[in-house]
Amino acid sequence: MEAIKTLDLCKEYPDTVAVKRLNLEIFEGELFALLGVNGAGKTTTIKMLTCLTRPSGGDAFVCGYSILRDAEKIKALIDVSMQETAIARNLTVAENIRFYAQLNGQSREEIDKTTAYLFDAFELGKVKDKRAASLSGGWQRKLSIALALVTHPKVLFLDEPTLGLDVIARREIWKTIRDLRKNMTIVLTTHYMEEVEALADRLGIMKDGELLFVGSREELYRKSGKESVEDAFIHVVGGGDLDA
Amino acid sequence: MRDSIKRIRTLAGRNVKEILRDPLSLIFMMGLPLFMEVLFFFIFHKLTAQFEIRYLAPGIAVFAQAFTTLFAGLLIALDRGTSFLTRLYVSKARSYEFIFGYTLSLLPVALVQSALFFLVGGLLDPSFWSVRFLWGILLCGVTSLLFIGLGILFGAMCSEKSVGGVSSAVIAGQSILSGMWFPTEGLGDGFLTALRVLPFKNATMLIQNAVNGYGDFVADMLCPLLIVLAYTAAAFALAIVVFQNKMKRA
Repeated sequence: MEAIKTLDLCKEYPDTVAVKRLNLEIFEGELFALLGVNGAGKTTTIKMLTCLTRPSGGDAFVCGYSILRDAEKIKALIDVSMQETAIARNLTVAENIRFYAQLNGQSREEIDKTTAYLFDAFELGKVKDKRAASLSGGWQRKLSIALALVTHPKVLFLDEPTLGLDVIARREIWKTIRDLRKNMTIVLTTHYMEEVEALADRLGIMKDGELLFVGSREELYRKSGKESVEDAFIHVVGGGDLDA
Repeated sequence: MRDSIKRIRTLAGRNVKEILRDPLSLIFMMGLPLFMEVLFFFIFHKLTAQFEIRYLAPGIAVFAQAFTTLFAGLLIALDRGTSFLTRLYVSKARSYEFIFGYTLSLLPVALVQSALFFLVGGLLDPSFWSVRFLWGILLCGVTSLLFIGLGILFGAMCSEKSVGGVSSAVIAGQSILSGMWFPTEGLGDGFLTALRVLPFKNATMLIQNAVNGYGDFVADMLCPLLIVLAYTAAAFALAIVVFQNKMKRA
């Protein structure tokens, strides 16, 4: 069953078209990677699917609800971790989690359970009393992603979750994402091809707001005649043929 | 409604922690004005009536509030710049809840500020003690809304790099145009008109009159209060429009 389905989804700004008639299906329990060069329309797509930006045309359904008509219902079922580290800097790690859980209406017992779960899943317990601003970049990003799980979303959007992190921190976040995928649908945007190879079930390649390819890695290799995601990606965005 | 109040309390609680855990905000909102109050009192109070504690303490109380514009603006601009607000937009919170959250976090700070400066004023000159302090503290809550509203507006409009400069204009405005550092009699008509129509001197006059007593209620209290409230309403109305606009374009 589809967790996300877009129908001719468009986003136009006065000076540019960010997303052009996007038709895409992402299935429940899948980890779907959206690839593209800068300005391809990945983040705009995520912002529309998370009801942060209203589309100029078309519609999309998240867990069966329309982003045009059912934004409140969708917001209760999803969460997002944007590419910038989005944390409360002067709050401790534990306070950050409690704050976001309270804001989303969780009871005291639920907050305790959520906090314990996230301490365990992200190993945040060891830094729980540290202020977020004093953490390393890797820990801050972990906390930022952990906050997106406070609401126990059915669909999680991760916009470039490992951007700017060193290789060790990136691998740790990959491990966490692999563990998460058992329980939810994940949509991930990234610039890192090895991230796609390590994590994604299927991928989509965008360029200038258009979706050029959707499918599995194996399909991408077969259609592009290449043997790595990076080579295939360069082939596709460079205008190369995709032989069926 | 109950859920909305809970969310506002949660947002306000977080904002209070963010601001008060930043040592710079404590230095500028409390430490620096307090230092100025004591220093200017000791140096100048025998030379000119301007620096008698009955004028100086209420003037400093309003001057210190101008820093809430800077720190509210910085907090919001940083929240926007780091996508923290974008994350919160995905939550159930509404735009008015964010505005209330930022406002209610700074209101108690303004009340504590004014109480502190009146208290220290009373210690510096015991003849200053008055039950009217309570009236002054209450009205400081009202004048602080002007500076908080401006801070929310600037934070919603400006980047974290530019918000400091824009907010500094308010601090400079409150310093120069409040009339607390120099006598305004004898200044040109244009300057005096600017002082009368802008909120800075009116806010200072309102608190000075509240604490020291007044002659004509309409001229000394009601008019300055209405001018401050008009600017406050305009600042909040603009802040709400800009904030909602930013939420739509998150």
